[in-house]
Amino acid sequence: MSLLEIQDLVQHFPIAGSKSVVRAVNEVSFSLEKGETLALVGESGSGKTTIGRCVLGLIRPTGGRISFRGIDLGGSKTVRSLELRGKLQLVFQEPTESLNPRQRVFEQIDEPLRALKVPRPDREKKVREAARRVGLAEALLDRYPAEISMGLQQRVGIARAMISDPEVVVLDEPTSALDPTARAEIIDLLIRIQRDLGTSYLFISHDLSAVRQISHRIAVLYLGKIVEQGPSATLFAQPSHPYSVALLSSVLLPNPRIRSGRAIRLSGEIPSPINLPPACYLAGRCPLVIDPCREKMPPVETVSANHAVRCYRHGEVAKLVPDFDSFGRFQSEADRILGAGVPAQ
Amino acid sequence: MSAAPTNNPIDIFNAPILDCENVTVAFPQYGTAASVALRDVSLTLRTGEVLGLVGESGSGKTMLARAIMRLIPPPGEITRGSIRFGGKDLAELDQESLRKIRGRDVAMIISNPRGELDPLQTVGQQIANVLRHHLNLDRKATRERALDLLKQVSIPDPQRRLDAYPHELSGGMAQRVVIAIALACSPRFIISDDATSGLDVTVQAQVLELIRKLVSERGTSMMFITRDIGITAHYCDRIAIIYAGEIMEIADREVFFDDPQHPYTVLLLAAFAQNERLRRYWLGEDKVRESSGPSATGCSFQHRCVRFQERCRSEHPALVERQPGHLVRCHYPVERP
Amino acid sequence: MQILAYIGRRLIFVGPQLIGILLVSFLLLKLIPGDPAVMMLGPFATDDGLARLRAELGLDRSVIEQFGIYLWRVVHGDLGSSWQTTMPVTSDLAQRFPATLELVTISLLLALCIGLPLGVAGARNKTGILRKIADYYGLVAGALPDFWFALVLIFVLYTILGIAPAPLGRIDFTVIPPPDVTGSLLIDSLIAGNWDALKNAAGHLILPVLTLGLINAAPILKMTQSTMERMLEADFSRYAEMCGLPPKIVARKALRNSLPSVITIVSVLYGFLIGGAVLVEIVFSWGGAGQYAVQGVLNADLNPVMGFVLYSAILSLVIYLLVDLIYFAIDPRTR
Repeated sequence: MSLLEIQDLVQHFPIAGSKSVVRAVNEVSFSLEKGETLALVGESGSGKTTIGRCVLGLIRPTGGRISFRGIDLGGSKTVRSLELRGKLQLVFQEPTESLNPRQRVFEQIDEPLRALKVPRPDREKKVREAARRVGLAEALLDRYPAEISMGLQQRVGIARAMISDPEVVVLDEPTSALDPTARAEIIDLLIRIQRDLGTSYLFISHDLSAVRQISHRIAVLYLGKIVEQGPSATLFAQPSHPYSVALLSSVLLPNPRIRSGRAIRLSGEIPSPINLPPACYLAGRCPLVIDPCREKMPPVETVSANHAVRCYRHGEVAKLVPDFDSFGRFQSEADRILGAGVPAQ
Repeated sequence: MSAAPTNNPIDIFNAPILDCENVTVAFPQYGTAASVALRDVSLTLRTGEVLGLVGESGSGKTMLARAIMRLIPPPGEITRGSIRFGGKDLAELDQESLRKIRGRDVAMIISNPRGELDPLQTVGQQIANVLRHHLNLDRKATRERALDLLKQVSIPDPQRRLDAYPHELSGGMAQRVVIAIALACSPRFIISDDATSGLDVTVQAQVLELIRKLVSERGTSMMFITRDIGITAHYCDRIAIIYAGEIMEIADREVFFDDPQHPYTVLLLAAFAQNERLRRYWLGEDKVRESSGPSATGCSFQHRCVRFQERCRSEHPALVERQPGHLVRCHYPVERP
Repeated sequence: MQILAYIGRRLIFVGPQLIGILLVSFLLLKLIPGDPAVMMLGPFATDDGLARLRAELGLDRSVIEQFGIYLWRVVHGDLGSSWQTTMPVTSDLAQRFPATLELVTISLLLALCIGLPLGVAGARNKTGILRKIADYYGLVAGALPDFWFALVLIFVLYTILGIAPAPLGRIDFTVIPPPDVTGSLLIDSLIAGNWDALKNAAGHLILPVLTLGLINAAPILKMTQSTMERMLEADFSRYAEMCGLPPKIVARKALRNSLPSVITIVSVLYGFLIGGAVLVEIVFSWGGAGQYAVQGVLNADLNPVMGFVLYSAILSLVIYLLVDLIYFAIDPRTR
């Protein structure tokens, strides 16, 4: 039994004054094990944020089942017990907006404990411990959010999420608002916390370098559908869906010699998720499109262990991009460049 | 991708198109010393060159663009230095003459295009504004040229898009419109300020390819401002790192990524690394965060630097040419065998 | 086509909205102490007479019943009559409502002519002399009560200088007014080609229009200035500057983007002044609708008040519809 299990999750939003619906999430299934990071990767309109919200019970899904430790979490958070809510936590994308500007850092971190009705002396101790864990100096606890940098604000956000000892934390683009160096620091912090506490992460992001650093498994989403799912290393080295390939090749690594393959280029932009055809959603943009793609949604096919893809031509995709792993190639170069001046262990 | 095309007669002399010397921008503050947004920035852009300017938010990268455009928000002002462009010092020109240069000789591609385009005017009208003002074209010629521009930036169905309003465009499409406006008067120099940061990654790739193609076809020089050092490795000829209003390191692309010497540059690169040990080292281990800044006299990067030594606190490092064309502002640059 | 559908959708709600407004005002008016029967028959009325009159007026029935009867009459075009003027409310209002409309419309035009350019100028140059003038103007005009300002104007321009006509209505008794067509003396004189009447009526408008126009220019000025300032600092203005567009064009773009807020404040002022101009109407013996309604309230004369409420509600709805249509025309995002 997985820690968190999502089965055929569907989320449709009706449009006011119209019969159409926004099909944000379309039959998405995945699971999350203890101490594991699953990255939900996709661009705007991929439904990744909506999935996170459903998991937390912030919105009631149109269909599907979400279970935590085998317990059906049901619809919205109102039916969840306080204790259960503490077990599933969230870190927001915009630290500046997710923090109350009129509350001191201490009170922000303390907030979930107050909601969980933890007695005051315990709270004080836990807040200080959480602050230490995320690398916030004691002195910062008395500051207001506006007085500290964005990177530090995001640390406050993480401390707040961690304070109720959650088992699953949904990280909704926690680094996209940050500068590159702050981003790297936050990623390292999250990795360390996971190692120490065994927390499971649902890491929602379009930042693939960060995804590569933090995640064990990856699910690639396109228009609310998982098009490919597999272990992180496998997916980066040998993607099998044209969209994954296009997404991965758009990553620009800081080394002019390592240019991602341009074997598959998508044309146009992401269509609106309002009236989706009962076919492959990528058919209109995909260079490998064949007739069946336009007629029927491709079934999930297994490529290798734990690696599944939704594409009629996944075999050809793999052949088109042999030796795809630009991250891997970047690595050896990076080790040489970064290794200079670093004392040996 | 090579540095400069040579069919342009000016190139025989390899004349710089833009030459910033000791540009200093300060914001006077009541009662205390003025806060300095740019400190002695010296940069030369060769004709046809694409220079990547990398910095985090607040580093002064956008301020440099604004200084070149002479659109520094008040009360900030250029207190020192010269910005030579086309035989004139932009720092000395009056607003009237500057308006003839902006949009015509120096064009800007900005981020968040849907916020920057006038919501009440059609795409065609906004392109026409610039064309009519700078080139005095008549109505018919304007429309034809606008249509032609939309075709050049590969907007699908350009005829119809001319009459579209900004809110009817997708992010990528609006970005292309802004590029079209930048190209409208065939400028010699384009500044791209974080132009692709708001786009989805697959769309960003398309737009970057387009920008690079258009500038190299025309031999236009470009300053590509971004906070993503990864982009510059693939779309720029030379890279400059700016931190706290100062240029920290500048070099040609190959040299820059092969032998980065400033600890801040290495830190930026480390953010991409898989190797956790190296990444941790450059990020400064697991130190507890406090908001303390650098001392007034020393290096502006001292409080974040893993190679910090006593000299960094007391003495401000100068921008030193370590190899030809490779300048570094650091007392203890990283050395590789 | 879309516009027509929109208007259609709006019109569906007009009926229920009006009934709601009437019901609330009816109930509120009933809460005010005062018995029309006592007022009408005077202090020496007999109990018997009062009871008879009450029955006649329907005052012995329940409030809801009374409202039902009133509504029934309204639907058939009968707004009842005023016991004070002994005239049907419709014919009273046909005289008075246009008087108020004429006054308010011209005043707001004047206010717009002052507030808009001054606000724009103040926003464009934050250190200029016009900005100083705009700031002081906003401060002073915002602090002055309109009726007091009216009295000052009368004192200076009529009593001392003698260049304005006496504050006694819309036209001199000695001038023959034009035949009634629209109710607006200016328009009616134009239609009749009666230049004497036109000149005289225009002369009478000067002081009240100055009063209301100068005072109400202040909110328009403030709104224009703050919105315009925001728009001049907006991303699209900055971008226009980067494209080398001259300040005139940048300002024009900013102004167009500010117009929705200005139109909103003008429409709010319009709706407000229909009743809110009453003090100024009283000072100038204008015989306007607000004055009529206040007399009604003070004398427990229900029908004029309800008639006034009905008319202003309809007018407000029409104004808001117009405003929406203007938004439609200005802003493509609302289409």
